[in-house]
Amino acid sequence: MDILKFALRKLAGGVPLILGVTFISFLLMIYFGPDLTWDKLGKNPTALEIQEVRHELGYDQPFLQRYGTYLKELVTFDFGNSQVVDKKVSTILKETMPVSLHLIIPGFILGNVIAIALALFAAYHRGSWIDKLIMTGSVIGMSISFLIVIIFFQLLFCSSYGLDMFPVRGWEVYDSEDNIIWYQYLRYVTVPTLATVFVALGYNTRFYRAVLVEEMTKDHVRTAKAFGHTPTSLLFKGVLKNAMVPIITRIMFSIPLVVVSGSLLIESYFGIPGVGKVTFDAIIAGDQNILKAIVGLTAVLFVVVLLLTDILYRVFDPRVELK
Amino acid sequence: MTEITHNTTMMEKGDSLWDKAWYKFKHDNMGKTGAFIVFIYLIVALGVWFGFWGGTWSDTSDQLWQGPSMQNWFGTNVIGQDVFTRAIYSTKVAFEVGFIVALLSTALGAVLGAISGYFSGSWIDSVILWLMGVLDSIPFYLFVAAVAFALKDNPFAMHIAMISTFWTITSRVVRGEVIKLKGQEFVEAAHAIGVSQNKIIFKHIMPNTSHILLVQSTIAFVAAIKSEVILSFLGLGVKDGVSWGLMISESTQDVLAGHFNNFASSSAFLFILVIAFNMFSDSMQDALDPKKVG
Repeated sequence: MDILKFALRKLAGGVPLILGVTFISFLLMIYFGPDLTWDKLGKNPTALEIQEVRHELGYDQPFLQRYGTYLKELVTFDFGNSQVVDKKVSTILKETMPVSLHLIIPGFILGNVIAIALALFAAYHRGSWIDKLIMTGSVIGMSISFLIVIIFFQLLFCSSYGLDMFPVRGWEVYDSEDNIIWYQYLRYVTVPTLATVFVALGYNTRFYRAVLVEEMTKDHVRTAKAFGHTPTSLLFKGVLKNAMVPIITRIMFSIPLVVVSGSLLIESYFGIPGVGKVTFDAIIAGDQNILKAIVGLTAVLFVVVLLLTDILYRVFDPRVELK
Repeated sequence: MTEITHNTTMMEKGDSLWDKAWYKFKHDNMGKTGAFIVFIYLIVALGVWFGFWGGTWSDTSDQLWQGPSMQNWFGTNVIGQDVFTRAIYSTKVAFEVGFIVALLSTALGAVLGAISGYFSGSWIDSVILWLMGVLDSIPFYLFVAAVAFALKDNPFAMHIAMISTFWTITSRVVRGEVIKLKGQEFVEAAHAIGVSQNKIIFKHIMPNTSHILLVQSTIAFVAAIKSEVILSFLGLGVKDGVSWGLMISESTQDVLAGHFNNFASSSAFLFILVIAFNMFSDSMQDALDPKKVG
């Protein structure tokens, strides 16, 4: 019961955030954004035709009313049709969301798990050559642009100039009934995943090591060491569990941005029909209905993530109260 | 004002934070190497700026797809432009983006962070925190696109978008530091002798956050250069002229045809600058961290 009350209060607290995000993006993208009137008209339109189109697009309404319509669309999850493809925005999102999730999840999990493992290893051997090697590696990883990694990995794994083991682009992993074909899935997901993991490792390892080192220098760890606990129990019970709060924060807050921004580059480069590619195409074509939907939904996702993060804190640290 | 800054940091051993930082930095080989490389890049960029070299980046020739040679150190591209000259010229573009974004986003973050930290708990603080939360929740590429829409393809849309999102990181750090500082005696003393609030915030407290600002601006610089590359590739960044991002974007066609000059040189230029800057930035973070004194 308490959790439910807490959740409702948290969600209500997220309303100003959603209003802010939607307001700023509405102002920039729609109100001051591209005028779509002329795209919809034929040659030599009459004044009446212009007026009709403007009315259809809602341009003749006052600002607040247009913003209100957008909020209503967000609440009812009905953003109308895409302005470029003749499909409902909600249908497009429903089709592309699973693709993006299938694409991102392996890289996201591996990028964090491997980074935590490396960070534990480096933190445990703090100051030794192993630590230095891992940290140098992570600075190098941080310094290579994501774009370069993508191009290089594609060249290395997918082209005849390299190993030529995987398809260059595309995403033909579903059979006619939308079930995943695992063999195909592995073929298409491997190279994007390798690229994501490579880039994520640099930043993540550094962050996690800093968190773990701080935890490791605390008194309870020294005491546990003095009592003769094995390194494994020391690392997992004494250090990792106590460092869970910052780790969870980082993982959770990267979710909303990974879903949109992270997949945007990968999907547009590998030609994978996910949310990122839809977003990119919508940016290029100025498809406002899709952009409105994506910005609004990301904001909602952020609020949900904030809520889940707070609940997860409670799981790992009983001292945290759900207030 | 400088007396106050010094007095607070000098209390322990008679050395200021900056003296100690300089001492540590002098003994940090990684940091010095990084700073040296960044300095070379800076000279290259300034040379382009003053017109000593790189001016011929847009000249075409009939030497298409040439490999490295004495005339064209890194070969030529699809329309016979010298890849080396283009990479050199792009250094200037990268430094322009980096400097503008680092300077303005750090300044904005410093001012807003100091205000929200000083008035923490009040409505001003809530508004600033809300604004930071909002800006952090808009996907970056979408925000850049939105700013570009609103500014009707102004060439500075990319810079403005980066400045208006990067300041939040600095601002959060400065806010935390200011909350710590405002309880200290020198602030109390300034209050007691009737120094105005503006002066306390900007002349007494803010100089004490300068070590944070220096580190944050180097981080913003690197982030700006890296973002420029991706944004230019996506068609949202540099539109006229040339930049490493545009070169990489061109090279996606080249590499499929087996020509790697363009890709290799722009990537190498970018990578070396970013890693040198990261090394420099890390070493400054270590040197300027008051917790690591000694």
